[in-house]
Amino acid sequence: MGMIGRWLLFLWIAGWIVAAFLWAPLVPVLGETTRVLYFHIPAAWVTVVALAWSMGHSILYLRSRRMEHDHQAAAAAEIGILFCVVATISGSLWAKAMWGSYWNWDPRETSIFFVLLVYAAYLALRSAIEEEERRARLSAVYSAIAFVSVPFLIFVVPRIYFSLHPDPIINPRGKLDMDPRIRIVFFAMLVGFTALFFWLQSLRVRVARLEHRLDQA
Amino acid sequence: MPSNGSSSGAAVWAILRKECRSEWRTRYGLNAALLFAVTTLTGVSFAMGRLTDRTDMLAALLWVVLLFATLASLSHAFVREVEGHTLTMLRLVASPTAIALGKLLFNIVFLAVIEIVTVPLFLTLMGAPPPRWGAFLGLLGLGSLALACASTLVGAVISQTRGRGALFAGVSIPLLLPVLAAAVSGMRSQWAGGPIAAEARLLAAYSVALLAASLLLYDHLWED
Repeated sequence: MGMIGRWLLFLWIAGWIVAAFLWAPLVPVLGETTRVLYFHIPAAWVTVVALAWSMGHSILYLRSRRMEHDHQAAAAAEIGILFCVVATISGSLWAKAMWGSYWNWDPRETSIFFVLLVYAAYLALRSAIEEEERRARLSAVYSAIAFVSVPFLIFVVPRIYFSLHPDPIINPRGKLDMDPRIRIVFFAMLVGFTALFFWLQSLRVRVARLEHRLDQA
Repeated sequence: MPSNGSSSGAAVWAILRKECRSEWRTRYGLNAALLFAVTTLTGVSFAMGRLTDRTDMLAALLWVVLLFATLASLSHAFVREVEGHTLTMLRLVASPTAIALGKLLFNIVFLAVIEIVTVPLFLTLMGAPPPRWGAFLGLLGLGSLALACASTLVGAVISQTRGRGALFAGVSIPLLLPVLAAAVSGMRSQWAGGPIAAEARLLAAYSVALLAASLLLYDHLWED
């Protein structure tokens, strides 16, 4: 992404943040907290994208043994944990406003905490292995196993146990049923966050590549 | 792999017998794990007293004790090979999958032995009301299977890193927490007289998914 791309991304996100405050209406029950929607859900979405990206590249690494895939997997995990923290904190603040407590192990809170643990364990594992090829191989194996547990956490657990998470409030009939202005800002932010992720990812991968080349020299 | 490497039932069986025999010779791992489980149990029991009318707490504490026992002992099967410098030899005579399945079976047996001692002791010390035995043992079995599947695979990864002991707990826990959540919820329901089918199915599905992923991944574990 060149200079122009970066400025476009900046203006895009900044512009839609302004629109979120001045243009989009509020949802009756949620009130002022409606706006967390434009930050919390895109951050959670990017977390899932980053995790999938990391795990996809881990599996590609196991098949091809090219270090490039390891750089991609590690970078996506690092950026994913950042967005996961953003989603957790914004969700927790929202929970304080709506449910009256920052944290009470609602299934959604539980599953995002699990995802944080998965990322943290992945990075802890990486830091415990010196040799580059072995680190890439073992962390790819771990990443692939973690990929088995994530669907259980994100999708199965909240559906078996009762949750207060407000898909029912914003989205009562199980389809996208929001005010059109809310929907436009929401999807625009989703696009912006996704682009932000891929930009950060490309920067992190370039750094990893340079570090790799330094090690080789 | 050399051609004599085989993942057939015979090789798996041979690994299991070898594991049991070498464990039986020293009983170091078993003694340590049993002592650890009983110590945890004593700590829990001492801190909480008898909980006859709080079956929801009993369910949680039982699985916490079993989780601790798992974290304390199940990386042992692979770590022992690395520390004894016997892994290379083992890999010459069997395929990675056979080694892994053999060690998984061994870990299941190992966990069962720990539970045979710990669980009756737990029920007695905590003053638990009599469980519904079918549901209780079924959940215990499925939960232990899932614990063993996850921790065997993580044990194989962790045995090749520095600072294994501390890392094992941290790295296994994301894989073990779904087991813990489902098993505790099932146990509660069991004591409360409710249905356990959803939890049992979740545990079984998780074990199968982990086992399938392991079979695909074991080939990639060792290559240097």
